[in-house]
Amino acid sequence: MDWTPEDDQLVVVRGPKPGGAGGAYRIFGETLRGLKTTFARAVEGHHTIAYPEEKVPVYPRWRGRHRLHRFEDTGLEKCVGCSLCAAACPADCIRVVAAENTPEHRVSAGERYASVYEINLSRCIFCGYCEVACPFDAITMGNDYELSDYHRSDLIFTKEMLLAEPLERSPIRAEGE
Amino acid sequence: MPRPERKLITFSIDGREVEAPANMMLVDAAKFGDVEIPVFCYEPKLGAPVGACRMCLVDIEGIPKLQTGCSTPVKDGMVVHTQTRRVKDAQQSVVEFLLINHPLDCPVCDKGGECPLQDVSFGWGGGMTRFVEPKRHFKKPLELSPLIAIDRERCILCYRCVRFSQELSEDYQLVLHERSAATFVGTFDGHPYVAPFSGNILELCPVGALTSMPYRFRARPWDIENAGSVCTLCPAQCNVAFTVRDDRVLRVLARENEEVDDGWLCDKGRFAYQSIHAEERVVAPMVREDGVLREVTWERALEAAKAALGGAQGRIAGLAGGETTNEEGFLLQRLVRDVHGSPHVDSGAGLDRSGLLALGDPGLQATVADLEFAHTVLVLGTEPVDDAPILDLRLRKGVRRNRVKLAVATSRPSSLDPNATLAVRYAPGAEAAFVTALSAAFYGGAVDEPAQAAGADAGAVHELATLLRTSGGDQPGDVVVLYGQRVLAEGEAVTAPLLKLAGALGLSGRPGAGLLGVPTATNGRGLREAGVLPDAGPGLTAVPSAGHGATGIAEATAAGELSVLYLLHTDPLRDEPQRAVWERALEAATHVIAHAGFLTETIREHATVVFPAESYAEKEGTLVHPDGRLQRLRPAIGRPAGVRAAWQVLDELARSAGAEHGVHTVHSATQQLFAAVAFYAGLSVDAIGAKGVRWWEDDARAAAWPQESGLRAAISDLVAKTPLSRTPDYEEAPTPSGLGAADGATNGALRLGTYQSIWAAAEVEASPALKFLHPHQRVELSPADAARLGIEHGEHVTVGSAGATVEAVAHLRNESPAGSAFLQSGIPEDAANVLQGPLVEIRKATPK
Ligand code: SF4
Ligand code: SF4
Ligand code: SF4
Ligand code: SF4
Ligand code: FES
Repeated sequence: MDWTPEDDQLVVVRGPKPGGAGGAYRIFGETLRGLKTTFARAVEGHHTIAYPEEKVPVYPRWRGRHRLHRFEDTGLEKCVGCSLCAAACPADCIRVVAAENTPEHRVSAGERYASVYEINLSRCIFCGYCEVACPFDAITMGNDYELSDYHRSDLIFTKEMLLAEPLERSPIRAEGE
Repeated sequence: MPRPERKLITFSIDGREVEAPANMMLVDAAKFGDVEIPVFCYEPKLGAPVGACRMCLVDIEGIPKLQTGCSTPVKDGMVVHTQTRRVKDAQQSVVEFLLINHPLDCPVCDKGGECPLQDVSFGWGGGMTRFVEPKRHFKKPLELSPLIAIDRERCILCYRCVRFSQELSEDYQLVLHERSAATFVGTFDGHPYVAPFSGNILELCPVGALTSMPYRFRARPWDIENAGSVCTLCPAQCNVAFTVRDDRVLRVLARENEEVDDGWLCDKGRFAYQSIHAEERVVAPMVREDGVLREVTWERALEAAKAALGGAQGRIAGLAGGETTNEEGFLLQRLVRDVHGSPHVDSGAGLDRSGLLALGDPGLQATVADLEFAHTVLVLGTEPVDDAPILDLRLRKGVRRNRVKLAVATSRPSSLDPNATLAVRYAPGAEAAFVTALSAAFYGGAVDEPAQAAGADAGAVHELATLLRTSGGDQPGDVVVLYGQRVLAEGEAVTAPLLKLAGALGLSGRPGAGLLGVPTATNGRGLREAGVLPDAGPGLTAVPSAGHGATGIAEATAAGELSVLYLLHTDPLRDEPQRAVWERALEAATHVIAHAGFLTETIREHATVVFPAESYAEKEGTLVHPDGRLQRLRPAIGRPAGVRAAWQVLDELARSAGAEHGVHTVHSATQQLFAAVAFYAGLSVDAIGAKGVRWWEDDARAAAWPQESGLRAAISDLVAKTPLSRTPDYEEAPTPSGLGAADGATNGALRLGTYQSIWAAAEVEASPALKFLHPHQRVELSPADAARLGIEHGEHVTVGSAGATVEAVAHLRNESPAGSAFLQSGIPEDAANVLQGPLVEIRKATPK
C-alpha cells in the first residue's frame, strides 16, 4: 500500500505548566504519597538479613546452578550427550562431546553418553532453556545461587561437578511462605 | 549422446504462473515457483525416480488421484496444487505411516539436527500418531562395514542406498531382504559392504539408518563449521566440504560440482582425513645429525637447508609430488632454476615439452562432463577407479543413462569391462604399439604388425576403430579419449599415433569431444603448467637449457653430478618407477631436503632436512584439474604449531640466497604465477571462486597457449619422426635372470604390468578407519599361467626380475590375459618399482 505522509498524525501531550496549584501538588502531594509507604513500613521493624550466615529461601522453581541427574535405580547418567541443551542455549555456554557406550564401559542408558559436559557459568544467563530442551530431564536448574569465585576458569563446571550434590544447599521456601 | 536441449514451458503451481524446463520433475520445477514439495526417495543424482515413499504427493487438475511430484514430469499448462486440504491430509498420513515403525530416538541418533525425516515431520507431519502397537525391532547398532553403521529400525525403505549400489557404483552389494513390513537393507549374505564408493550412502540416506563409524557421535550440526575446499588425494580433485569442530576435521562431505565430481566422493577422499590428525604426522622441522633425524628449531632447519643449497650451485634437483599446489611448484622451480641456476626440476610429467604442448592443445581438451555426453568414450590404459575414482562413476552414468558407447583398451582387465561395448587387451608396456595399430587402422596403415607387437588381436583393433569411426552414425561422433599418463611412457612413439588418432576422429576444436589425460599426480597438470618441468618454464615456455627429468635426476645424482635433492611432497622410493636407481641416488646425495607430512621410507632413511608439510585441509593455493579447471584450496583448520607453509619456506630460502621476489602471502605467489603463465592471464583467485574455472574456455587464454606447435604442426612433425610401423622396444628386452633355476619350480617369464590401487596412499595408511583396506602386494595372474606354474589362488609367491624380488600373494583372475602378471606400485613394501621388468618370473615362496 502506498504511504501518504498526510495520513500520519502526531499527537503531542504536554504536562501542566509550572507553578499554580498543579505545581504545588507535584512538589508536596506526590512526596507525601511516597512517605506514606515509608512510615507504614517503619513500624514493621528491620528486615536486614545477615548473609551469608542467614539466607533467603528461594522459590522451588528458582533457576540456580544446574544439576545433572542419574537414574536412581541403575546409577546410570540420564544425559545421553545429545547436545540439544547446547543447541537451545542462547548464551552458547554448554559444550557437549559425546562418545559411545560399550558393554564394558556403560555410562548412560542409550547408545551414546556425554564424555565431556561443561557449562560455563560465567556466561550462563539462567534462562533455563537447557532444562526445557533436554529430552531426558537429565539437566535441571538447581537452587544453588552461590556461584562467585576468584577465577573465571573455576566457573566452567564439568560433568563431575554438575553430577555431584552442591556443597551447600540453598534453603527452599516452604509452601505458602 | 549429445546433451539434451532444454525447452521452457509454463505451468501453474499454487495459483502462480511459473516457467520451468519441459519434462523436469514436478518437485524440481516447483522450486522455480518457490514451492517446496517434501521428498524422501527422490534424488536426481540417482537417476530415474522410483516413487517409493509417496511423500511428494500433489494435486494436479484433471487427474483424479494425487500424483507423486517426484516422478511426474511437468507439462505445459499443468495446474498443480500443493496446499489443498487433500494434499495436506495425504502428507500427514504419509508421515504418520513412515513414523509407525520409526524409533524416533533422535537424541542418540547421529542424524539428529540434519535429518530430513525430522524436518519433514516437523514441516508436513500431523504431530501425532494413532499407532499404539509395538514397533518392529532389529538388533542395533550394527556394522554394515567397518566404515558404516546401520540402524535398521530407523530405515524408511526409500531405496536410495540400494539404488546407489545397484545403479550408480554398480557394485551390486546392497539389496533389500524380505518383503513388506519385514523389509530390511543389507548385503546378500551379510558380508561387510566394502566398496570404493560405499561412503556415499551415508550422505544419501535421508534418515539416521546409515551413519559414519569414524564420525559416530562426534558432533552435532550446531557444533560444527563447514569449510569448502578440494580433495588432493587423487587427480580427480573432487570438491569437498570439511566438517570442522574445535579446529579438527571430523568428516568430509561432497560439495557438489557437476563439472568435477557430480556430488560423489570415493572412500579415500571421504575417510582419509583422519591422517590430518594422525599421531605419526611430522609437526616439527628435523635435521639429520649423526645419522639420526632430530627435531630442531625452524632457524636451525632453515640454516641447514640454506647451507646445503648455497654450496651446490647448479647441482641441485627439485622434485615435486602430486599434492604440491601450483604456487609451491612455481616457487620451487624458481628456487632451483632461477635462484640456484640448476635446470633439473620435474614433477613426473613423463613427457617432453613438445609432447605436452601437442596433447595439451586447448582445442583438443575434453571435460569431465563430456565423458557423460559423448557418443563414444575410449578408456585407454587407465583404470579410473584406481587412478581418478570419481571418473568411474561418471563413465558408468554415461553408459547407463545416456547410452554412451564405452570402449576399454587396457592391459589389465578393467572393472569397466562389463559396461563396455568393446574391451581390447594389449600387453603391459606395449601402449605405443597398440596406439600405433589403432591409428594405422584409421589411416589404412599396417595394423597386423604393430597389433601383434602389442600382443593385441588385430581384429579387435579394427573393431575398435570401426566403433570409434561410426559412433555418430556414418561419421565419427563426439569421441572422448580418456588416457592414463602411464600410456605415454614411450614419449613420441605414443603421442604421435595418439595425435593422428585425434586428427582422424576430428577431435580438434570440437566441443564435447577431445582428449582427457589422467596424470599420476594429483596436480600433475598444474605443476606442468607452472613450469615444474625439466625443459619448460612457467606457462610451458622454452628454457635455455633443459635439465634432467625425474629418472635422469636419479641417475645423475647416483653418478655424483648432482648433490642436493629438494623433495617437495614426494617420496621417490615409493612414487617413482625405478626404485633401484633412486636408492643409489639417495645414498649418493649429500643433502636431501624434504617437505613431508609423514616419515615414509625416503624421508626416514635419507632426508637430511625435513620441513613439516601442511595437510591439505590446512593449505591455501590453487590446483589444476586434469581437464584444465583451476580450483582453489582453502584452509579449513589452522596449522599445528610447528608447521609452516611450504611457500613461506621456499620464499625464505630464495630470499636468503639473495633473491627478493616479494612473496608475502600465498596470494602474491598466486598473482606472480598467473602473471608468469601466459594462458592464465586475467585470472584471479576471486574469478576461480568456489567452483573453479577452466582456463582454456576463454578464447583469449586458449590463444595464449604456446603456438609454435599447434596440433597440425605437432602431428606432422612427430609423425615424420616416428614411422607408424616402428616396433616398440620391449621385444628386444632381455630375458630375466632373477631367480635361479636351482631351488624350486621356476618357469617361463611373464610380462610385468603395474597398477596403483586406490588405497595405495600414505594418507590411507595413516587413517585408522581405513587400516583394514591397506593394500598388500598381490600378483594378478591368469588361471592358465597359474596352472602352468602350479600356483594356486592365495598362495605366497616370489616375483623376480634382474636379481630383485618381491613377495606377493597370488591372485587368480579369470579375465587376466595369459602371459602377463600385474603388481601394485605405490605401496610401502614389496612395491612393483623394485622390479625392473619388462619380464618377471614367478615361483612359490619358500616357506618361512
Ligand atoms: S540456563 Fe540458559 S544460558 Fe544457562 S546454560 Fe541453560 S540454556 Fe544456557
Ligand atoms: S543434558 Fe539433556 S539435552 Fe543436554 S546433552 Fe544431556 S541429554 Fe542432551
Ligand atoms: S533418523 Fe531422524 S527422525 Fe529418526 S531418530 Fe534419527 S534424527 Fe530422529
Ligand atoms: S538405509 Fe537409508 S537410504 Fe537405505 S533404504 Fe533405508 S532409509 Fe533409505
Ligand atoms: S519422493 Fe516422491 S515418492 Fe518418494
